[in-house]
Amino acid sequence: MKKKSKNTGFLYRVFQNDLKLKLTTLLILVAMFSIRGNTYAQKTKVTLELNNSTIEKVIETIEQKTDFRFIYKLNDIDLDRTVSISVKDQNIYVVLDRIFKGTQTEFKVRDTQIILKKPEIKTHVIEFEKQTVMGTITDENGLPLPGASVFEQGTKNGIITDFDGKFKITVESSQSVIVVTFVGYTEKKFTADQKVINVQLFPDATNLQEIVVVGYGTTARKDVTGAVSSIAAKDMNQGAIVNPLQLISGKAAGVNINQIGSEPGSGPSVRIRGVSSLIGGSDPLVVVDGIQGNLDLLTSIPPTEIESIDILKDASATAIYGSRGAAGVILVTTKSNKNGKSTIEYVGSTSIDFIPKKLNMLSAAEWSAAAASNGVPASSNHGADTDWYGVLTQTGFTQSHTLSFGGGTNKLNYRASLTAISQDGVVINSSNKKYIARVQATQKGLDDKLKLTFNLNNGVETSTRTIADVGRSGQVSNLISQAYLMRPTDPVFDTDGKTYFTDPGLFQYINPYAVAEKTINDSQWDNLFGSLKADLDLAEGLQAGWFGSWRKTNKTTGFYLPVSSTDPGAVRQDGFGNITNERQNEKLMDISLTYKKTFGVHSINALALYEWQNQTYEGNFLQARGFISDVTSYNALQYGDMSKVIYNDIRSYKNDRTLASFVARANYTLLDRYLVTASIRRDGSSVFGANNKWGNFPSASVAWQITKESFMSNQTLINELKLRAGYGVTGNQQGLSPQGSLSLVDGAGSTYFGGSQITNFNISQNPNADLKWETKKQTNLGLDFALLDSRLRGTFDVYTATTDNLLFNYTVPQPPYPKSDIKANVGSIRNEGLEVSLGYDVIRNENTTFTLAGNVSFMRNEVLNLSGSINGIALNTDYVAWGGGTPNMYLIKGQPIGTFNILEHEGVNASGVETVVDRNGDGIIDQGARSPDRVIKGSALPTYTFAFNPSLRYKNFDASLLLRGSGGNKVYNLVNQRSSYLENIGKSNVLDSALDKGIRTSPYGSDIWLEDASFIRLENVTAGYNFVFKDRFLESIRLSLTGNNLFLITDYTGIDPEINLNGSNSDNAYFGGDRGIYPRTRSVAFGVIVKFK
Amino acid sequence: MKIKNILIAGSVCFFALVGCTNIDETVYDKYQPDEFYGTPKGADIALASVYAQIGGNWDGVGYAGADLGWYDLNSMCADEQVIPHRNTGDWGTDFARTYQHDWLPTDTMINNTWNWLYKSVFNANLAVNQLELAGADASKIAEAKVLRAFFYYLLIDDFGNIPFYTDNNITVDKIPQANRQVVFDFIVSELKANVDLLPTGKGGELYGRFNKWAGYTLLAKVYLNAGVLTGTPKWAECLAACNVVDGGGFSLHSGAEDAANPLKSKYYELFGDVLPQDETILSIYTTVDVVSRNIFTVRSLYGAHCRALFGYDGWNGTIVPKEFYLKYQDGDVRKNQFLVGQQPGGANYTLDVTSLDDPGAGAQEGVRNIKFYPVAPRGGGGASNDFPIYRYADLVLMMAECNVRLGNAGAAKPFVDAIRTRAGISGLAGNPTLDDIYDERGRELNWEGHRREDMIRFDKFLLPNQFRGLSPEYRKIFPIPTSALNANPALKQNPGY
Repeated sequence: MKKKSKNTGFLYRVFQNDLKLKLTTLLILVAMFSIRGNTYAQKTKVTLELNNSTIEKVIETIEQKTDFRFIYKLNDIDLDRTVSISVKDQNIYVVLDRIFKGTQTEFKVRDTQIILKKPEIKTHVIEFEKQTVMGTITDENGLPLPGASVFEQGTKNGIITDFDGKFKITVESSQSVIVVTFVGYTEKKFTADQKVINVQLFPDATNLQEIVVVGYGTTARKDVTGAVSSIAAKDMNQGAIVNPLQLISGKAAGVNINQIGSEPGSGPSVRIRGVSSLIGGSDPLVVVDGIQGNLDLLTSIPPTEIESIDILKDASATAIYGSRGAAGVILVTTKSNKNGKSTIEYVGSTSIDFIPKKLNMLSAAEWSAAAASNGVPASSNHGADTDWYGVLTQTGFTQSHTLSFGGGTNKLNYRASLTAISQDGVVINSSNKKYIARVQATQKGLDDKLKLTFNLNNGVETSTRTIADVGRSGQVSNLISQAYLMRPTDPVFDTDGKTYFTDPGLFQYINPYAVAEKTINDSQWDNLFGSLKADLDLAEGLQAGWFGSWRKTNKTTGFYLPVSSTDPGAVRQDGFGNITNERQNEKLMDISLTYKKTFGVHSINALALYEWQNQTYEGNFLQARGFISDVTSYNALQYGDMSKVIYNDIRSYKNDRTLASFVARANYTLLDRYLVTASIRRDGSSVFGANNKWGNFPSASVAWQITKESFMSNQTLINELKLRAGYGVTGNQQGLSPQGSLSLVDGAGSTYFGGSQITNFNISQNPNADLKWETKKQTNLGLDFALLDSRLRGTFDVYTATTDNLLFNYTVPQPPYPKSDIKANVGSIRNEGLEVSLGYDVIRNENTTFTLAGNVSFMRNEVLNLSGSINGIALNTDYVAWGGGTPNMYLIKGQPIGTFNILEHEGVNASGVETVVDRNGDGIIDQGARSPDRVIKGSALPTYTFAFNPSLRYKNFDASLLLRGSGGNKVYNLVNQRSSYLENIGKSNVLDSALDKGIRTSPYGSDIWLEDASFIRLENVTAGYNFVFKDRFLESIRLSLTGNNLFLITDYTGIDPEINLNGSNSDNAYFGGDRGIYPRTRSVAFGVIVKFK
Repeated sequence: MKIKNILIAGSVCFFALVGCTNIDETVYDKYQPDEFYGTPKGADIALASVYAQIGGNWDGVGYAGADLGWYDLNSMCADEQVIPHRNTGDWGTDFARTYQHDWLPTDTMINNTWNWLYKSVFNANLAVNQLELAGADASKIAEAKVLRAFFYYLLIDDFGNIPFYTDNNITVDKIPQANRQVVFDFIVSELKANVDLLPTGKGGELYGRFNKWAGYTLLAKVYLNAGVLTGTPKWAECLAACNVVDGGGFSLHSGAEDAANPLKSKYYELFGDVLPQDETILSIYTTVDVVSRNIFTVRSLYGAHCRALFGYDGWNGTIVPKEFYLKYQDGDVRKNQFLVGQQPGGANYTLDVTSLDDPGAGAQEGVRNIKFYPVAPRGGGGASNDFPIYRYADLVLMMAECNVRLGNAGAAKPFVDAIRTRAGISGLAGNPTLDDIYDERGRELNWEGHRREDMIRFDKFLLPNQFRGLSPEYRKIFPIPTSALNANPALKQNPGY
């Protein structure tokens, strides 16, 4: 009851509920009536032996040994003063006299109570000159700031501003200094010499006061010991944002957000510090208000409802998430209602989306000439002049609307919102609509010792997508890329004007317009998740917590491809339709104990936690073909020809994953400047092999607040300087699908045996009972600083991360294996990098802030080892083809992942066949992985990424710009390769450049298709204005205009050099290979935010 | 004190949860091998899954699969069929390269063939093992072993020295690349030990399976090619094995005219739906899209022509080279399978093909083949015609060949004449020569997967043709696919590649 408050603020009003003040009141009553004599004090003898102890410690010791209780005001006593005392069996008066002799502290003993106070000399003066000040506190936009602290400097006298940002405070004198603070804002001080004073606060650019969300808790930015990037709502990208990741694109060093095309409903991928796994475990863990999930969890929350995003980058920060933390963690905090305030807010945006670039294909006239000179019969020329790309594209529209409201009291707070996001894509018949309703409420109970936080998020997403894989054999890609391949002389319709044109002379002719018009590909994704968090204060500093969350998704996709679509598959099957149902249940529960305590200069914060998670995936699929009419599409599958039902037309699946974890973490802070964090997590996961279910993931990190040292106190240049170092071990198991370690027997079509057709079965997987998590060991060294009155701020981080026991589908020889790959932990790869973020306030005053900000990261990836053994037998897996279909891409020891090991283009021989360099001159072009004719020509992984993000605010006007780029990598241009061979000119169009190249055909994929992928993109330009009203109903209106993807500077000849780099290695992922993407749009967006009173 | 109590209580609660650590994996939607195969029914399924390997499907799987598998590799490198690149841009040049003996170790066809054969060996090993564990009938174990010998025979025939193993519980270092002779000896001894255990019945539940007669036919085939495979011919042994089959009650199916048949002869029932038991020794049961698929006609016909005949587009792929077509004389019912000239749907096939690769053949160039005239269910993805792996006509010609090779041409004549007579043409004027037999095998067994083997045995494989010159000797064996060499660096590539 007598600890010195570590709160740098003051005594809040809430403090009145504190037991100490209640005691004081009681005590005064007792003292007034003086019922009891000081018998206890007279009788009790005290023995003390303390050296160089703080007063606080002395008081504590006395309280422990006796029944005496001290009562005092914090500011009256210098608790940090050290004394040495040695007394034996002394009366309390003697002891107190020794302790406080020579100080200003007076003491009084009333029975067991000891009251300490300052001499009351000043009291009269204070009474005399008391001054009352009132006013309004506003934020940088001139909007009232409720909840700001206003207090008298050097006292605990203070209050919080009300809903309208108003305050009224009575201070000791007109000379008193009044301090105004608000989290995230620079504090302001003024003298209480006027009765009415209005104060405007500005955001604190140093961010060091910010609260940072870390795993299973929060901490102040100044106490962070790991590499954590935090982006608050006010710093996020603006415009027609449909996915939360777009909010933070370019905002954090080492966090690469990669949007491939602008297909409605498709989200970007994100890589934190590169690709550290080879089987798809490089997606970071997403934690939304404590709910853990995969990247798709992000798509189910409205971007406008996000308060802040914190990204845990290094292992000392992520190890707390153990075997889910290896790829980094994205922590999302959604908006909640500010204490007691009531709000109604509308946020909306609309954008118009265009296609910025098209490939240069031959025009109708050019094609006719080229075809004729390449021996294409005249019958292949149908004489039309069709802009196939134009026919299949349109101007897109994106809209987003959110209405949110909230309110409450000190005990109850809630916030609710409704969001609608609608996208009509630039390719015809592609759209996405998303509706999300959220409720969040916090209730306090048990005399404020219990806090219940409830979250419920319910979303429905419907989308209409273009067909993902379509095309003649060898030319399969997405639909829009097929438009490029169309001969420009083919008409869209037959002469009757309604039948889609097809050329019966060609094998598998596809009319992409017919496919776009006739394909039905609708999906609906229901997404429900909720959580309940209960925190109970058990005792001072000790809190018990329970958290439970459940996410339930249900996705239904209906697909119908009629014969009229011209798709060969549909034609072959007489049209087909199917319905896919996929259900996911993700449950999580944790129980925790946290303990926070400050002992003088020592401060600890400890956490112990048990967590249980289960993710269940199940679903089914139904298909029918041979429909008499297309009217019912997939809605009446029973109308199909049931005699044509085949194996796999009816199927279902179910699998799950269970994790159990024990977590312990401790933070220790000494003198507010030496910080140590250590954590350990023990994780068990069901997906691992029987021999290796459990793993341990420790971490430790330290930080040194150098500016808090006394030797720094005499300089003014450096405002903040913090050195961080951390090491941690994390794992990856999420990339591993359930049942990956077992030998399984799976159905494999039908066979004929014993006189009838029966279901066939095969061993579908090579087992590996030793299968376990990947182990990523990461070391991080960081420096945070603020100079020149905090105008120049920055962070440096260097890291090295080595992933061992690399999970991968290693190629095994056939024979003896029935399948050509096995999941195993064999190799290791290393990522190293340097990240720099800088911000500089060029201008910073009341009216204007002009900040230049940017970040750059350099990274280097290397495959350290790919050789190992399975069951004691050496596996040589070096030179493994990798990349999900990208040709000539390999994993090679000593090279980055995704290295192009490729034949060198030489020329074209007399018959138009491409020739390549026979490097070893043996007359044979060896196309083997280790061929001496191949040469290493770079990797698909960028070696640097950067973003430049200047922003300007002048009074109520603001503007910002985001320029982003990356480089040092190559793209294999499959689109070019596919559209360049002149042998295809009879059936498809080719690029202008194909005529110059003159390659008729090629048995190789040479480096002629390899291109530099470096680029700079003007990703976002936003200008906005805030109108502030003194109105009864309206508080403010913000209008803004955003341009997206306004220009792109690159040497890449394809549509866009930003192609898939997510490293999942799944089939048709085409890592670093461009096989045709949905266009990336250029857009102009108009945004509005209205705040009501 | 209070804090302590809470701490203790809390800790007790916390560690009580240690019980909540059950993370055993439950498999809901798959079977696990031991429990699945460990029953008699499961062991049967293991045997069935070996047969499933023979049925043809997409992705180059199967004995007569759809595109880019064993059948295409072994047929298009011969002289009987090829898919030319078309000057309309259709079809790549990979089939043409195969025909021109210019295949690469990276070619899909070669890779598919290797993977298919070794997966088949794995399945056969599994079946042998599981049937033995389940104490199944000796005839079933023998059947699995004969199947394994069948796949090993195809492997040494195509690839020469190959990795050889019979137990799946083995690591790659224990599977050295075995000499062709070693595997040949294994095949012979395995067949000799097992063929007599096979059932002697035909059809019904044995349709599409190795019975004793199919087993002996395989043995005869192995002996027939012994000279090529090992350098030591075994013509007498071959003849002896053929004689066993000959005692199995087979006869040549009728070649009589049949107005109801689209090809106007009962002969084509041998390539129709359910293959007649009088002549068929071993076949692949086919129901398109369900079990196997037969694409040979749809792949050959021009789009509009196929549409006019069957209502779906043909692929305008495979043609029959002129030289091969000209081996047939008029009046031969076997010539009915070829289409030249004006056809329904506006097609007009020419005898000549001007170019295989650059600029490619004209859209309607080349003779087409409808030997496997599509039976229902059928569609753009193929038809349901069963496929003959072995039939008595093949055996008859093998007996003829052995007799000629053994210097007994007079004994060979009736065999060759029987085949010719059934086809509606006259017998040979004199005793058959090896060339007579070679040509007769070509005419009788075209498009049935035997041609490469025959051409090599008769020393015709390397000879030049309209679209290529003389091939080097090493082309008689295919290269080991690059992917297999990458996965197992201990493998040695065949010479020349």
